[in-house]
Amino acid sequence: MRKSFITCYVVTAIIGAASLMTGQAPAPNAAKGKGGRGGPATPAGPTPHLTDGTVDLSGAWMGSGSNSGDISKGLKPGEEVVMLPWAESLMKTRKSQDDPEANCLPTGVPRGAPYPWRIVQTPTHYFILFEGNIHSFRQIFMNGKHPDDPDPTWYGHSIGRWDKDTLVVDTVGFNDKFWFDYLGHPHTEKLHTVERYTRTDLGNMTIDVTIDDPGAYAKPFTTTGRARLQPNTELIEYICQENNIDLVHVNAPAQLP
Amino acid sequence: MKLTRSIVIAGAGLLMMGLPIAAHHSFAAEYDSNKKVELKGVVTKFEWTNPHAHFYIDVTGAGGKVANWNLELASPNMMQRNGWTRHSLKEGDQVVVVAAQAKDGTNTASAQTIQKSDGTKLTFMAAPPPPDVK
Repeated sequence: MRKSFITCYVVTAIIGAASLMTGQAPAPNAAKGKGGRGGPATPAGPTPHLTDGTVDLSGAWMGSGSNSGDISKGLKPGEEVVMLPWAESLMKTRKSQDDPEANCLPTGVPRGAPYPWRIVQTPTHYFILFEGNIHSFRQIFMNGKHPDDPDPTWYGHSIGRWDKDTLVVDTVGFNDKFWFDYLGHPHTEKLHTVERYTRTDLGNMTIDVTIDDPGAYAKPFTTTGRARLQPNTELIEYICQENNIDLVHVNAPAQLP
Repeated sequence: MKLTRSIVIAGAGLLMMGLPIAAHHSFAAEYDSNKKVELKGVVTKFEWTNPHAHFYIDVTGAGGKVANWNLELASPNMMQRNGWTRHSLKEGDQVVVVAAQAKDGTNTASAQTIQKSDGTKLTFMAAPPPPDVK
């Protein structure tokens, strides 16, 4: 009995964790009813609200709004990724060991990482706290305005508003350093993202992201993904730079995980 | 025995899919999932560090020559959530490890299953639940 439990535990953990790498739902029947990584079942119940009626986004979440392996695989139906020729050429030359994420640099937007994150809501600012990769945060200025000429940064300048029960985060002012995925889809400082976070019930959140970068793509496209609430989970310190000794062995073209 | 086989199959299946379990870099770019090695040795160091935990083992070859292997695991945060602790391995532990070797041919590998001499079985990210779990 115990052996079968352990076996199930291990297999489920592996399947669940693999799905979390992409931010996509597990394949049908894989870890069905589980929290996405072999832990307790995803909590069921209605979408919670704060006392002022705003949707409560608190909790530790796993997942993201795009496929972190290949962003073109996580699109909303009818969407397509059309790279400009220079961007396509650049992507073909990229190597895995140069991936900023592999070098413990931020993932930018919308790429997710296989670690939990948390949203903290205050009246003026929302914060997204990342366990990894890296152990950092984004800040969202609620009902704010973008500066005229923001300094290019890894997470950009984000302003937020509520569209009914969906949190809409509009971000500009990105640098061009992070990669959209393991394949190395590039972007430019013209990147503009609009993320839509909808907590559909207690345990689930859908995340749609519209990516508009006329510097690298022929037209905007929208990705879609989801996150699952991780019950009884707290963020744990994760300092990627501590002992990142593996890259010397990573010598290959940029590729899927 | 059946359990060991199941874990190995699960790990192997994952590698065949080219999927990392919890990594911040491409697993497939570093390791060859077809280059499996079984290593019997003694733990010389266990690094409970980010972004990946590592342990090192001395493996004595047929001619008596000792080779030290660097074995990569997942990250401590995710391993901790799956039953590992910083005490799960220690210097002097005798282990049998099934691993995928690095493509560069060095004594570096991704540990998929680890069997300790006391019968404890660990994987890349998961350790058995506490004894009171039935």
